[in-house]
Amino acid sequence: MRTRSAVLAALLLLTSGTAHALAGPEAPRAESTTTAATTTTVSATSLARDIWSLIQQMAVDARADQAEPARPTQNRARVRPQQIQAAGPAGPSVDLSDLSHANVLDATLASLSRVPEATLRLTVPGGQARLGSFVIGSQESLQGHLLVMRGDAVVYGKLQGNLVAYEGDIIVHPGAVVTGDVLALRGAVRDEGGEITGETRTLSATTAPVSAVAPLSAWALTFRRVAGVLGVFVALAALGAGLAAFGRHNLQVVSDTVSHNFGRSFVTGLIGQILLLPTFGMLLVGLLLSVAGILLIPFAVVVYVLLVVVGIVGGYLAVAHAMGEAYTRRRLAQGILLGTPSSYRFLVFGLAATMALWAAWAVFGWVPVAGTLIRGAAVLVTWLLASAGFGAALLSRAGIRENFAGRIIPPEALTDEYLWATPQFGVPAVRRPGTGSSTSARTPTSGL
Amino acid sequence: MGARLGATALLLLGLPGTLAGQSMRDFTTARQLHGEDRLVTRLDFAAGTLRLRPGTSRELYRMRLAYDAARYAPVSRFDAGTGEVRLGLASVGGSGIRVSSRSHLEQRASVSLSPAVALSLDLTLGAVEADIELGGLRITDLRLQSGASRTAVAFSRPNGSRCGAAVFEAGAAELTLTGIGNSRCERIVFTGGVGKAVLDLSGAWTTDAELRLKMTVGELALRLPRDVGIRIRMDRFLASFPTEGWTRQGTTYLSSGYARARRHVDIELTTTLGGVSVEWLP
Repeated sequence: MRTRSAVLAALLLLTSGTAHALAGPEAPRAESTTTAATTTTVSATSLARDIWSLIQQMAVDARADQAEPARPTQNRARVRPQQIQAAGPAGPSVDLSDLSHANVLDATLASLSRVPEATLRLTVPGGQARLGSFVIGSQESLQGHLLVMRGDAVVYGKLQGNLVAYEGDIIVHPGAVVTGDVLALRGAVRDEGGEITGETRTLSATTAPVSAVAPLSAWALTFRRVAGVLGVFVALAALGAGLAAFGRHNLQVVSDTVSHNFGRSFVTGLIGQILLLPTFGMLLVGLLLSVAGILLIPFAVVVYVLLVVVGIVGGYLAVAHAMGEAYTRRRLAQGILLGTPSSYRFLVFGLAATMALWAAWAVFGWVPVAGTLIRGAAVLVTWLLASAGFGAALLSRAGIRENFAGRIIPPEALTDEYLWATPQFGVPAVRRPGTGSSTSARTPTSGL
Repeated sequence: MGARLGATALLLLGLPGTLAGQSMRDFTTARQLHGEDRLVTRLDFAAGTLRLRPGTSRELYRMRLAYDAARYAPVSRFDAGTGEVRLGLASVGGSGIRVSSRSHLEQRASVSLSPAVALSLDLTLGAVEADIELGGLRITDLRLQSGASRTAVAFSRPNGSRCGAAVFEAGAAELTLTGIGNSRCERIVFTGGVGKAVLDLSGAWTTDAELRLKMTVGELALRLPRDVGIRIRMDRFLASFPTEGWTRQGTTYLSSGYARARRHVDIELTTTLGGVSVEWLP
């Protein structure tokens, strides 16, 4: 199909240039092109050159049609071969003397290729630029660098300079000589037996990786994110339910530790994070010192990682528990009936609160700037809560130690009002205020 | 008003679609052989898969790259004056490490070098899985520096010229050297940080050689030919070494038949943590 259009184009050119047709296909062998073509008027030679280029292009296309069918070169829109006029002093200029930075040159030419061909002006210092396919005939010798845009550069003769083709192939036939570097941008170099004294380079167009996922629409992206947040919520809720069912006491102690000593828990969590790696390193070094220890290293690594994960996730759940508990108690104090207060309810409310920012990001994350801000806030808050939870888990030894859980009331807090409102069973009389020996004791009130 | 809102909504909805994915590009560079008799090759490849092979005698070198254009730029620069070529990838900076799927690590480099010229080879590899075949080339000196890589270097055929020194420096890496006897190197230095190294001393030994091996933490496996006399001077700390089949003289171990062997290899071995294993080749 393309070959047919090329034939038509050639016929049109022939028709329009009958006055100059005498030059005919002998043009590539003409001696008049030994210097860079600089004429601005359509001469018989340039017309003949164009016709010859078209014929060459037809031949190239015919060969390419027989080759692999998926070559990107075949999909390029061909343009009428013509010289690109030099731009003014302030116009675009492309230096072809150094082709080692192919990607930079490609970016420059990519921007120039978007300019309509009628208005395209380009200066090549020490050379020339052509639009459409260009052929250097077997008797021709061209001096200076040559840039061919959106077409093939076919060399039968000699080029004394660098050769660059943008969106086109470079074909160097037997007997051809290029005394410089050759670069095909978004095309290929086909050395069919010619001599290239410089370096031969090709750079393809940008291609997405094979496994790249197509960009999602905003709806799909939002749906996926909402589903992700919901999934995380359900997973954490399930973990929390398990923890509440089988380790409720530990969960409550860690939760109370966060409630009563949030600042201390956060600082402890921060220090804990900093010391994670050094502790791990010390553990490994300690184990390396003995043969039995070396054998234990794989198990120690697994156990250490598991402990850290349990500490962080468990701590985060304890923070959610504390938040849910605070909310529930506040609502109950306002006389609003929320059902039976339980750790499960606390966890659901708390997790919903902690995930609120992530939910906001899931819905509005696609909004420029705001989406980034929301995500940053969500990350920050999550890290803050996880750090506090991790610290509380460390302080309470995973819910074993109650010292920081507010469950031990100092003697000075045992006021008359407290004692009046608090059942006295189980409170040792010796530990009440004013009984002398109880100054150093803290009254355990767990279970009151 | 409604139309404006609709247009704004459409614009905003279209924004996520413009999120650019990672882009890969193919780059090829080659140079015909025009009477050169020596080539200094410096290859720097930061991440991906590398394959190096002897090329054709018509080309001085050829490199094919598939690389992440957002993070790297191809390097191909030949200096005709010094006969030195720089190949590989240079980081363009600013993008950082951005890996969201395994496919993003699939940068590939395929390099071939001329067997017709004397080669000085300097390879710097980062997070690379490298398969390097040097058999049949004419290596005069070799230096390989690898980071967190898995590298296999083989001399499947004898080196075309005498090699002064081969230096291998491996960080946290796995390195396998096969057919060291074919390398014709008089001096081989291996320095390993953490990891595993396999040194296969098989091949056609044409000269005596000296190996200096240093492994800090990890496993060093030596595959030794029986027809070559091996002497190991050992400096080890918390590292095991199988002493069976060796004649011990202080900290020096001599292989059986060392005195009668036509070729001798002296190994200076320093290892700290880990072990040295020895496998005798028939």
